[in-house]
This record gives sequence, structure tokens and C-alpha cells, in this order.
Amino acid sequence: MKKLLACLFLLVIMTVVISGCWSRKEMSELAIVLGAGVDRAPDDQVRLTLQLAKPGAFTAGGEGGGGKETPTWVVSETGKTVLDAQRKLAGRISRHIYWAHDVILVFGEEAARHGVLRYTNYFYRTPQSRETMWIMVAKGEAKDILETHSQLEKSSAQDIGYLARAKTGYSVNFKNFIVMLSTRGANPIASRVDIVERGITQGPEQEKPTIHKGAALTGTAVFRKDKLVGWLDESETRGLLWLRGEVLKGVITTPSLAEPDKEISMDVIRGSTEVQPQYDGESVWFNVKIVVEGDLLEQQSGEEILDREVREALEKEIAREIEEKTRLALEKAQREYGVDIFDFGEAFHRKYPKDWLELKDRWDEVFAGAGVDFTVEAHIRYSGLQSRRTALEE
Amino acid sequence: MPEGGKIDSKQAIFLMVSMVLPTTFLFVTSAIAHLARQDGWISILLATLTALLIAWLVANLSRRFPGKTLFQFPEVILGRWPGKVVALLYIWWYIQVSSEVLREFGSFMVSAFMPDTPLIVFELLIMAIAAYTVRNGLEVFTRINQIVLPLILGSFVILIFLATPEMNLKRLLPVFIENGAAPVIKGAVMPAAWIGNIVTMAVLIPYLNKAKEAYKIAVSATLITSSFLISTFIADISIFGPEVSAGWFFSALNGIRMIHLANFLERMEPIAMTIWIAGGLVKISVFYWVTVLGSAQWLELKDYKPLVLPVGVILLALSIMAHDSIMDLLTFLGTIVIFQDLIIFQVGIPLLLLVVAIIRGQVGTGIEEKEGGKQG
Repeated sequence: MKKLLACLFLLVIMTVVISGCWSRKEMSELAIVLGAGVDRAPDDQVRLTLQLAKPGAFTAGGEGGGGKETPTWVVSETGKTVLDAQRKLAGRISRHIYWAHDVILVFGEEAARHGVLRYTNYFYRTPQSRETMWIMVAKGEAKDILETHSQLEKSSAQDIGYLARAKTGYSVNFKNFIVMLSTRGANPIASRVDIVERGITQGPEQEKPTIHKGAALTGTAVFRKDKLVGWLDESETRGLLWLRGEVLKGVITTPSLAEPDKEISMDVIRGSTEVQPQYDGESVWFNVKIVVEGDLLEQQSGEEILDREVREALEKEIAREIEEKTRLALEKAQREYGVDIFDFGEAFHRKYPKDWLELKDRWDEVFAGAGVDFTVEAHIRYSGLQSRRTALEE
Repeated sequence: MPEGGKIDSKQAIFLMVSMVLPTTFLFVTSAIAHLARQDGWISILLATLTALLIAWLVANLSRRFPGKTLFQFPEVILGRWPGKVVALLYIWWYIQVSSEVLREFGSFMVSAFMPDTPLIVFELLIMAIAAYTVRNGLEVFTRINQIVLPLILGSFVILIFLATPEMNLKRLLPVFIENGAAPVIKGAVMPAAWIGNIVTMAVLIPYLNKAKEAYKIAVSATLITSSFLISTFIADISIFGPEVSAGWFFSALNGIRMIHLANFLERMEPIAMTIWIAGGLVKISVFYWVTVLGSAQWLELKDYKPLVLPVGVILLALSIMAHDSIMDLLTFLGTIVIFQDLIIFQVGIPLLLLVVAIIRGQVGTGIEEKEGGKQG
């Protein structure tokens, strides 16, 4: 009898436990957020734009079928806070808004200029949202970016996410963004996203091919503390990458020494950047050492690259090219915006922790006046499958 | 004697590690970083030294009274009634520790994973299992721990390894100069109170099959625990830096969430949850067992089993009622509790007992003799 009662009791308990937890979310009840945009609305309100994955569109069969319908749906709503806006959206979306697969978070230009700290906290706090999502600033409104569609990927948010992951420009995930936001010796930067002509769509029924406009990464947004102060274009972003020494991939093109109207391109394989701050009690300067290794993959001219002297001259030329790009970004940060976006402050902080206490409150000023010495070394290690240029002798 | 089990030295080390590590690793970084910033690992080292002292104190004390636990030897030292009062204080303290651990367990599950589930559900489920475990005695949950802890430590190492691409060790610089000694010492108080729970050895020693090795066990357990805490701290700080780390509740969880390798090895936080549940069960069982055993010894019962359920109900009720929110839990754990734990129960009373015992010349009969007698 006792055993029977115990079994019955267990059965009752089971019905509670087996039915699952309170927070269970079935796939078919979710509206998965792929991209989110935050714009500033009048009266300091927040306009939240969400790009949602349409259910079923992402399964294997969806692709071959229609092709005309986009697999995403964009909604937006204004509220006092991000959560408030999301709550209002919930009244119009039949499913539970689910953040865990969010790929990008775009701030509108206006919102960024007024300071992003106002908007970041929700994404910091909520357990659903991820620290790995990419942060970008739209040139214009974030809403427009999310309303674009992609030709290659199923949604523009994923498309932009893949672009960010490829690290062609400077990409920042949410974690690094909040680290930069909260560190005194650094100012945040984020990728700039803009709507540009991305290519031409073709089709058999089309009389004329149409130009496809889509969102793409076009540089870097520069912040002072949490406020947007300006942009770096794509070539200045290259300089930024060299100076921060983070993702050193890309191509460097310089004119040939023998034939100045022809060019040579090196594909960068790896590189390293070392920043050494110097302080003598009055002035601050930085010694930046950049070392690059790469493969010579295109040569319009005909010089003999097997010759050590030619190669060394070429390497020098490449190093000069890198230094020029880097100076471009540095000049802009020091002279135009007056903000340290290269983590030089942190390098200084680590080397001179005592002096840092005095300088940290006016660091951006100090940075703007600091001198920077460059030592750039380039090494050509390989030259593809060709050892010497085969060309018609003239 | 209420508890008849005996465990060997390795099992005891495992048990003492499980008593501290599996839950504290989640918030060690944020708890220390907001005081000692990037120098928190020095704080953990200081805390380790404190814990080693506590271990020495406890081992020395227990050696004088073989076969007696923390709830029994105060009577021998201080006389019957004062001793009873001290033992009662310890019972009260263990009730508090157990219910706080239980509350931490439930709060993490609710705040990080299942916000809609009522707290009581998690606490009731884990307490039901813990009650069953405790009823079965020391040897049973020691053996559970022998399976669980290697898995926990293994996944620990793997997780830290997987997170290395996100780390930048430069975030640990500059060392010491910037903050000076005061924040480092302040930061050491909290981990000292956690690792200082090694004082529980005073309850465990009579159930060791080699009681002579008590101090060695306590030292190894403390060193294992603190080395894992330091690795967690260094990993978290080199991922997030001190400012952001200090802002999280569960900094290690956020660290684990950062893991993404090759576009498929990501979203690893269920592992954190697994460590938390498995380790949490052992941790709760240890403190629960100590509370129940202590109560039984205080009441001089022959068996502690009748007390398992009543004490469980008290723990459960107390853990639900003690705090109204996770913020309250955090401030409580970070202020009142650590001083009370460290100053009164982990250092103060044991030191007092030891001094009195030395003055009264209570050297004890020696464990060797007793063991010899047992064999004979």
C-alpha cells in the first residue's frame, strides 16, 4: 500500500516535470530576430527595428520554391526604452520575439551621435541576446539598412554578418564594443554600414539587368566616449587595422620601381603590430613597429624578383605604402576627431600605471599631441607559382 | 554514532573541492574584480593563504579530539553548556550556509536560463535529490562526487581552452602598482570566506580512514580549488577586462557564451549549467549533511535520518524567505556574510577553541593510538 502510494505520488510529480519548464520555447512559436536596429525617435524615444526570420523560409525546401518572396519580415516600433518598443511590437507579432540568434545590431547615425549608452544596456542585460553579435553604425537610419534584402544570403542581416565575419574592414562584436566603451584608455569604434550598389541582378525575363542596392560595410564609425564623432573611409580603415594590429589581411599595391606606371600587388599573409609608449614626464610619444609578411601575387611590370636587391627595394616600397595608410588614419584621429581609437591609452596605461593616473582624464588631448614613430618592415616570402615574369621582350 | 561511513583521502579531497569550486567559479571574477580589478588573482592567492591557516587550525584542533566532530569537541574544551552553545552556533551557521547555497543555485537557474520558472521549483527538485542523497549517508554522495568532479574539472579545462581565442592577457596589466594593496586585500575577503569553508574538515575528519592525513587533504583541496579559481579569474579578465567583468553577475557564464569556433562550436552554456547542477547537488548535499549530522550530534541522537526531512524543510523555507531578489542576495553575500563567516566561524571560534584547549592542556589521546586499538 505504501509503495503504491509512493508510485502514485511520483506519477503526479512526473506530470509536472515532463510537461517541461515554464520558459520552454518551441521552434514553431518563435519569431527569430536576425538583425536589430536602434534609431533615435523624437522626444528621445527609441525606434526599434527588427528583421525577423519568416518561419519555414529557412528550411531546406524553401529555397527552390518561390524565390519571389523574401524569407524575412521587418517590423519597427517606437518606445521609451528598447524593451518598451519590443513590448509594443509583441502586440503585432504572433510569435515570441527570440533574440538568441541575432546576428547584427545597427545603431542609426542620429542615435549614435546622441550617445549609444542609452541603448546598449538592454543587450548587456538580457540573457537572450548574445555578446557575439556584430555592432555597426548606419550612415543614415538603421531601419533602412534592415529593410534591404540580400541576393546571396537569405537575409540582409546574415549577409552583413558574413561581411563582418570576413573582417575585410574593422568588425566589432558586442563584447569588444562594451569593453571599449567602459575602458578609459580607449574610444569605441564600429563598422559603418551603408546602402550601396552591390551588383546587378540577372534573370531570363528581365529586359535590362537591374542594379541591386544592398547594405555593405563601408568603413568605420569613430566615437568619443559613447557619442559618434565621425567616420573613417575604407582606406583609412586599412590604416586603423594596421595600427590596432588586429586583423592583418588584405592586399597592398605599390607602383613598380622600374616602371612607375605599372603596379605590383602583395597579398598579406600575416603581420604584427607592436606599440611602445614613451614618456619623459612632459611629452608622450609612441614607437609603432609593424612587421608584414606576404606573397607577391601580381606584377604588371617586368623586374626580376629573384634579384635580392630588387626585392629589398620592393619591400621598402611596400613598407612605405603601409606607413602612408597608417598615417592617414592616425592624422584623422589626432587632428580631426581628437580621439584615441587605437588603444594607445591602454598601452600607455600598462607601461606607466602611475603617470596614467594623472593623464587619464585628459587622455584624448594628450593623444592628439603625441608623436608617433613608425618602423615598418615588409617581407615578401612567396611569389605564387611563378618565379619570373614571362613576357614578350620588346 | 549517527554516521557510520568512512571515506579515503582521495575521496575527501574531491569532496572538499566540490564543496567550494563548482558554484563559486561562476561569479568569482565579478565578485573580486569590482574591488581588486585586474589584480584579483593576487586576492585569490591571499585568500588561499588564509584558507591554509584555517585548515591548519582545524586539523590541529581535531587531532586533539579523535573521533569527535566540530559539534562535539567544544563540549570537551569549554564544558558541557558553553560547548553546547558553540555547537549550536555552528549548526545555525551551517543552516544559513546551506540555505544561501540553495538560493544561489536557484537564482542562477532562474536569472540566466528560465526566467518564467518559479524559484521554488529548482530548489525543491534539488532538495528532494539532496535529501535522498544525505539520507543514504556520507559514502554515497562521496561516490557520486567521485564521478561528477572529474567531469566538472575536465569540462572546465576544455572550456578555458576553447575560450583562448577571445583572450588578451594584456588586460591583466598593469600588475599591482595601479591599485595598491588595499583593494587587493579587500578583494581577498570574499574568496577567503569561500575557500575558508574548508573549516568543514572539522566535521569530516572523524570519518576519514586515515585521519592523520587530514591536514594534507585540506591543503590539497584548497590548492586545487584556488588554482581553478585563479584560472577562471584570469580567463574572464583577459576576455572582458576588469570593468566589464565587474558588471556581470555570472562572469564565467558570459565568458563561456563568448566561445565560438569555426561557426559551429558555440553556445556552450549548457555545460556551465551542467557543472552548476551537478556540482551544486554535491555542494548542497555536503552542507545539508553537515547540518543534519550536527543537529543529531547536538541532540545526542543515535541516528540522523529522522532529521533529514525536517532540516530540509527549514533550509528550503529559509532560502526562499531570506531574500526578495537576486540583488539582495548579492549584497548580503558580499557584505554581512563574508565577515561573519570569516571572522567568527572560520577563524574566530576555531582559534578560541584551540587556545583554550592548549591552555587546558588537552593534547588528545592521539589518533595513532586509536587506530592501532581499532585494528587490534
